Amino acid sequence: MTNHETTNVLLIEDNPGDADLVRLRLVEGQSPVKVNCVNRLSDGLASLTVETPSVVLLDLNLPDSRGAETFRRVIEHAPNVPVVVLSGQDDEALAMKAVHQGVQDYLVKGNISSKHLERSIRYAVERQALLRALEISQKQKIDFKNQFLSHVSHELRTPLTCIHQYVTLLLDGLAGPLAPDQGDHLKTVLKSVNQLHAMIRDMLEAARAESGKMRIERRCISMGELIHQVAAMLRPTADEKHIGLELGIDQRLPLVHADPDRVLEVLINLVDNGIKFTPPDGAVMIQANVVEADPGSVYVSVSDTGRGINPETKNLIFERLYQDPEAVDNNRSGLGLGLFICREIVRLHEGRIWVSSEPGQGSTFTFTLPVYSLPKLLSPVIVYQGELRPAFVLVRVDLIPNSNPPRGNWKETCMRALDILSRCIYLDKDLLLPPMGMAGAAETFFVVASTDLQCAGIMTTRIREQLEKLEELKDKGTIAISTLPVEFLPEKADESIEQQVQTVADCVSQMVLKGLERKHAPAKSAQQVN
Amino acid sequence: MAKAKILVIDDDPDLVRAMRLRLRASNFEVATATDGYSAIASAQKEKPNLIILDLGLPVGDGFVVLDRLQNSDSLAGIPVIVLSARDPQTNEERALKAGATAFFQKPADNDELMNVIRASLGEAKAHRAPWPS
Repeated sequence: MTNHETTNVLLIEDNPGDADLVRLRLVEGQSPVKVNCVNRLSDGLASLTVETPSVVLLDLNLPDSRGAETFRRVIEHAPNVPVVVLSGQDDEALAMKAVHQGVQDYLVKGNISSKHLERSIRYAVERQALLRALEISQKQKIDFKNQFLSHVSHELRTPLTCIHQYVTLLLDGLAGPLAPDQGDHLKTVLKSVNQLHAMIRDMLEAARAESGKMRIERRCISMGELIHQVAAMLRPTADEKHIGLELGIDQRLPLVHADPDRVLEVLINLVDNGIKFTPPDGAVMIQANVVEADPGSVYVSVSDTGRGINPETKNLIFERLYQDPEAVDNNRSGLGLGLFICREIVRLHEGRIWVSSEPGQGSTFTFTLPVYSLPKLLSPVIVYQGELRPAFVLVRVDLIPNSNPPRGNWKETCMRALDILSRCIYLDKDLLLPPMGMAGAAETFFVVASTDLQCAGIMTTRIREQLEKLEELKDKGTIAISTLPVEFLPEKADESIEQQVQTVADCVSQMVLKGLERKHAPAKSAQQVN
Repeated sequence: MAKAKILVIDDDPDLVRAMRLRLRASNFEVATATDGYSAIASAQKEKPNLIILDLGLPVGDGFVVLDRLQNSDSLAGIPVIVLSARDPQTNEERALKAGATAFFQKPADNDELMNVIRASLGEAKAHRAPWPS
């Protein structure tokens, strides 16, 4: 701001005397000023929508807003405009709070000189501009890095695909028979190609994790099944090295609430590492169990009989790009991103991951995942201010394919429908339960509405309207939406709120298991598309 | 029964050659195109039963090709499998929305790709039959 530039001030002040005084001080200053004065917050916000002033001078107590609420709404409305609060003698504490929460400065009314005011405005404008520049530059840096990585990954994949295609052509005998040695050599090439491929994937994954763009789609999954899947995938690799792959899965293991593809990624990474760092004739063990002290989590561990990890490096191995300096043998260990990605995936699931190891005694990597718990999922919507709501409404959405088996990429269609559903609910009022039923070829989703029938009706309409826009559903399937009010048993005086939630959850899960039989659905309203 | 015909559209001639070998070995007839413009002309001329499409193409990228296929009465019914080196997180949904049947990132698993090709062909035959046999 130079002295010759006009400063546009939006003054939001309801006291005419104070407003006049501030206006006078502004005009007395050295630099040219234009003042737009309004006396209500709503008028101020409206003015901010029309034009952006250089600075807002804001009284906190206005006819339509008081205290902290006033500056919060201004900042929310115009985050890039500097705000200077005008406080009374008795509310300096509030003004200080405002400064902590994004306001640039405060002035105490009655003590305002024109010089003081001018300087405060100038600094506020400068600081806000610096903050904005910093924000933009940080975002640009991250964007640039991601763009670069995405570009590099694309460029590397193209020749890699070509190598992959020709090697597999040869290995599959499509270019004539191979001598046994030649086949072995080509298998080595293919192994390296796959390693390169994995590195490229990890590089992108790590960048995504770092910029908070990694996504997880949680479902209700069985850890036991996933472990068996990983064991089947990696057993050939283990057999090749004469390493035993053992499983120890607790029979009473509860289901977990997690993204199956991501958890598979973590498991593959840990088991693959275990095999890599275990000498021939050793063993890798995958275990899953529940610990008495922490019943809300499933503990999954991967132990090996390798050389173990030094105590000093234990805390470093989950960091990005960490490479074990002692691992300079014939194992090409990749980019050092695998465990970093594992940690980020586990973190996104609100779990923990750690390693325990003694040098020479092998290592055990353990991670936790939250148990799938209907009461835990339900409680945010059915408990209100420490009280159980008397009723709520279940909304059920069925996607029914036009043919059996379904045509086309039905799984993909369902995933996209689920994505649409998740955007239809209001996070503070509604809750989207993960897909729970598989009725034949149809995919079933349940949405729980926290409020009364009328609100559930509005949500149902919203869901229907959005799903109707899903093009592939139009020619591949139909949508059926039904609603069902759930009433609870009268509250028992001696039951804690947790117990009551548990009772409700039991009732809901029974309904879900029964597939919400039609006779139980008096308020059913089926809607069909197509 | 006549062999099913697959049109492979990719600007990397080496990859096209390898795909041709592999698809022929699986008893498919193969036609090829290396840019977005000739892709449409080839589709019209060759009347393929399925198209394998790269996204990064000269003279009209894969999305332009998808768009033109969808907007052509005679070509809209042909299943299109996208096979691209691009990031699925930013391209898969867009491709499927634009009418693709499936999205594979390069390098793709040969068996998986072949399964989807067979499934899409079976489906197209049962429900759409774009060309009279």
